[in-house]
Amino acid sequence: MIEYIKEPYSKEESLGRLNIFVRKWFESKYKELTPPQKYALKLISDNKSVLITAPTGSGKTFSAFTSILSDLMNLAFSGKLEEKVYCIYVSPLRALNNDIYQNLIAPIDEIYSDITIPIKKISVGIRTGDTTAKVRQQHIKHPPNILVTTPESLAIIINSERFLQNLGSVKYVIIDELHELANNKRGVHLSLSIERLEDLIGHGFVRIGLGATLSPLDNAARFLVGYSKDTERDCYIIDATWEKRMDFTAICPVRDIINAKDSRIEDSIYQMINRIIKENRTTIVFTNTRSGTERVVYNLTKKFGYNEDIAAHHGSLSREMRLGVEDMLKKGKLKCAVSSTSLELGIDIGTIDNVVQLGSPKSVSRVVQRIGRSGHSFNDVAKGEVIVTNRDDLIECSVMLDAAMRRRLDSFTTPKNALDVLSQHIVGMSQTKKWDIDSAFDLVRRTYAYRTLPKEDFISVLRYLSGEYVELENRRVYAKIVYDEKNGKFYGKGSSRLIYFLNLGTIPDEVSINVMAPGNKWIGSIQEEFLTRLKPGDIFVLGGKPYRFEYSRIMTCHVTEAPGQIPTIPPWFSEQLPLTYELAIEIGKFRESFDTEVRSSELIKNNSGYRQVFTRKNWKGSILERMPMDDNSRNSAFNYFAEQILFANFVPNHKAMLIEKVFDEEGKRNLIIFHSLYGRRINDAISRIFAITISDKYGADVSINVGDIGFVLATGADLKLKKSDIESIIGSFEGIDAAELLKNNIRRTEMMKRRFRYCAARSFMVLRNYVGYKISVRKQQVSSQLMLKAVEEIGGDFPILKETYREILEDIMDLPRAGTIIKSLISKDIVYKIIDTPVPSPFSHMMMTFGEADVIMMHDRRRHLRELHKEVMKRIRGVKK
Amino acid sequence: MKITEDLCIVEGYPVLFIKSMNALVCSDLHLGYEGVMAEKGNFIPKVNLKNIKRILTHAVNETKADRLIIDGDIKNEFSKVHIEEFKELRELVDYLKSELELGRITLIKGNHDNFVDRVKNRIGIETFSCEMLENSRLFFHGDGMPREKLYKLIVMGHLHPAITLYNKVGVKEKLHCFLYGKTKKGQEAIVLPAMNYFAEGVGVNTQDVSDIVPFFRSFIDINNMRALCLGEREIMDFGVIGNLRAAAGP
Repeated sequence: MIEYIKEPYSKEESLGRLNIFVRKWFESKYKELTPPQKYALKLISDNKSVLITAPTGSGKTFSAFTSILSDLMNLAFSGKLEEKVYCIYVSPLRALNNDIYQNLIAPIDEIYSDITIPIKKISVGIRTGDTTAKVRQQHIKHPPNILVTTPESLAIIINSERFLQNLGSVKYVIIDELHELANNKRGVHLSLSIERLEDLIGHGFVRIGLGATLSPLDNAARFLVGYSKDTERDCYIIDATWEKRMDFTAICPVRDIINAKDSRIEDSIYQMINRIIKENRTTIVFTNTRSGTERVVYNLTKKFGYNEDIAAHHGSLSREMRLGVEDMLKKGKLKCAVSSTSLELGIDIGTIDNVVQLGSPKSVSRVVQRIGRSGHSFNDVAKGEVIVTNRDDLIECSVMLDAAMRRRLDSFTTPKNALDVLSQHIVGMSQTKKWDIDSAFDLVRRTYAYRTLPKEDFISVLRYLSGEYVELENRRVYAKIVYDEKNGKFYGKGSSRLIYFLNLGTIPDEVSINVMAPGNKWIGSIQEEFLTRLKPGDIFVLGGKPYRFEYSRIMTCHVTEAPGQIPTIPPWFSEQLPLTYELAIEIGKFRESFDTEVRSSELIKNNSGYRQVFTRKNWKGSILERMPMDDNSRNSAFNYFAEQILFANFVPNHKAMLIEKVFDEEGKRNLIIFHSLYGRRINDAISRIFAITISDKYGADVSINVGDIGFVLATGADLKLKKSDIESIIGSFEGIDAAELLKNNIRRTEMMKRRFRYCAARSFMVLRNYVGYKISVRKQQVSSQLMLKAVEEIGGDFPILKETYREILEDIMDLPRAGTIIKSLISKDIVYKIIDTPVPSPFSHMMMTFGEADVIMMHDRRRHLRELHKEVMKRIRGVKK
Repeated sequence: MKITEDLCIVEGYPVLFIKSMNALVCSDLHLGYEGVMAEKGNFIPKVNLKNIKRILTHAVNETKADRLIIDGDIKNEFSKVHIEEFKELRELVDYLKSELELGRITLIKGNHDNFVDRVKNRIGIETFSCEMLENSRLFFHGDGMPREKLYKLIVMGHLHPAITLYNKVGVKEKLHCFLYGKTKKGQEAIVLPAMNYFAEGVGVNTQDVSDIVPFFRSFIDINNMRALCLGEREIMDFGVIGNLRAAAGP
């Protein structure tokens, strides 16, 4: 049963159960219990599983460890503390492990410094991908009492027979940063490891989840504890997220962000950051991408002469560099650290006075968590500024902070029944014993992520791994396990042992290519896959600026600046997380009410279409007044809306869609712009439903650019849809099965190829590492594109193909909600207006620049190729003339 | 598709038919590819051999040819004898002889075809090292340089030629193609596309090929070669590479 704990326990209830030395230490260290501790100490002492969500610096980690240390101390005193692992602590970050290590060793030393009688000391060990062979050997001979590790290393440990012998006494498993795991395959992978661990050692353990807030918490708790045979296991939820007060504002770098030049906005952004850094002792600046982080450090250094007192911190940096930055922060030697995501997690970095977020982090939970990093203690107010970088960003960030004030969180989902992750673990399981199929199936179904796994799917994975999808004679080489169907058993193959160790994990390999401007100026990086799409002359956006692709060399891409140009190719893969549906709807509601306010404003009423920049000093009575934004933001928002109203007389919102038809002179394409304000996961689905329908109806290739607040479809110059055409397309959606339509046509997209590669690698179909050598992504990619074609000849029930479809339709897209929106369009519950515009309306400018691209290829391949032939020959004749 | 009185491409397929020899010519089969990948731990469904059989069956039915010349790289692995490859090689040859009733099978050995000689008698094919001259036609795989200078027609493989194109909405496509034209000395020249299912193709209009086929360096100007592409059940003439290159310019 999942239960929320609302009432804190008294100090005596919390501390009374503790070992006397631990209690003494605790009380000497902390004057009072922090909110999570008031709930957690007693529950963990009672051996209850708990999920604790609270901001960083709230003593969250100690709320978990104190009772465990106490338990181990008691063992030590009774002479029963053995060389065994009692507690496993798993964290998604390697850097974090180091930190916890320091934070555990020091308290243990302090506790023991008071004890005069000789008793055994609690030992702590760390095991990650960086751990040396020597230390790993030591762990086997002298296992630490508390083992600090990562999800991937845990999956290795449970497959190591010798290590496993030391895990029989595990009583506690802590998962830190649960919010970074519960919503992705890495977390799914971990939850299977933990369930396998329970099975391997033959008994359960107390599970403790720590994290920043996420919603709904019930599902996060289920993810943590899973199910016993028939019911969900017990878990208590402690939600102390809102105990820390926060003070945040959206700030706009210029008074008028619509008309200001890019260079001026940029300049002003850096001036602002500089001022904030100067005003505070220590500041963290969060960007949304790694390349953004590099750029900010570069520019701050260049513009203001910072030197050693500013540093970048992100996942691409070496471990030594990251540790160095953390250390300098702790010692107060840094004025400012710039980070993409790595610093938002619970690494101890000492006191941060202020957090600056540059651009929208796309989710309420995330912004709460990032700003929550500032403030000296739990009782302090966390302070932060969100600097907006463009007009949509402005609206998005303001609404996001407003939602945070009102504690409206966005929701997460856990990938369900992922067959690729399952394949990995089946290979792992087969290595440990001969399995009875039913008991293996039961084990898998005890996790939240596989609770509803159909038996057929489980069997199909066994069949795939045993090579049953190929002809009999070839099975020997293909099989990674042996599946004895007659007796309902499966077991391992010796050769698969290494495959498991070398290839486990769920993070796809990507190769990043450096982008250079003339004079070897580094601009940022793009993915190799994106580079292969570029042809000379293409314009694309990197770090908010357009560049023209000139040529590429191995690992570098050479570009020139192309100021003011509309990109011809949007990114094929967005580094940014999608805007959540909940937040998108909040933006819609804001647009609706602010639209009314702006329309009724005297400034607009007296304006007859003549553009001018409005400046307002007094915001009394405006809905912007109560929102956490500065006056520059308010003015820019007002002007943004005013411009849209004067240009199109229509401000799209969540209940009213604007559809614009416009001809792109530069690219010689017809564009249809859909202001579909539902977040990228839903727009991913809706845009493709439209594109497939248009492609089939008119026999054309349709390219797509999907963003959070809308999508753009492009067709060739010769296919211009009329208003009535679009109306009849929407009408034709009546009665369609959106899921079926997408499933049948997703093969025609580029997304399918990329996702298939990821799934193929995760399910050990294509190996990243094989006995001693790493297989390059380029090689993986070449084979997986053609492999997709080959695999299709096997048929639709092939589990990796099925998983690719599932991942796209369930994890990447949000089909159920997309279906609802399509229905609402037909029933006119969502109204839509189709207009012709000479140039895209103000609200579509950002959409055209940012977003993720795809294309729906014509269904009829023969016709498609003939079109292509015609087009090329036309171009050649043009050149000849 | 008829190229000349004597040369013809089996419509839509990577197979050339030479009328006066009543022979089909194809290249770069790379048998055993999936097996070799599987030995490295990768699961790639076996489709290559099946696909080759299907193509050659169609080609024999269309042309009634009684001879097959394989212009190199019948198998995949460079260095060692691989059991998967020989199983497939034997299966293919058996099929060609018994089902398609091809009387004579000739292999011009390519850079991947070491060790084929060991089994040629057992399975009943004739092999030539690097090149074969017959009635002034030179069949030459394409790696290295041909020794023979006196020929009227040269047929090559090895390159895996394709052209890279962008459609109206900017998406890249690669189409496998035959290259047909003349050498600088005026001899007829044709380069065959790869028959292997998994071959990606080398975009001859976007990249320099002289490193792959040294012969191009001094004897053929690729700009004057015509790209005859494999469409869907048809051959599509995209004209000479030089024009394709010019049209792609910014």
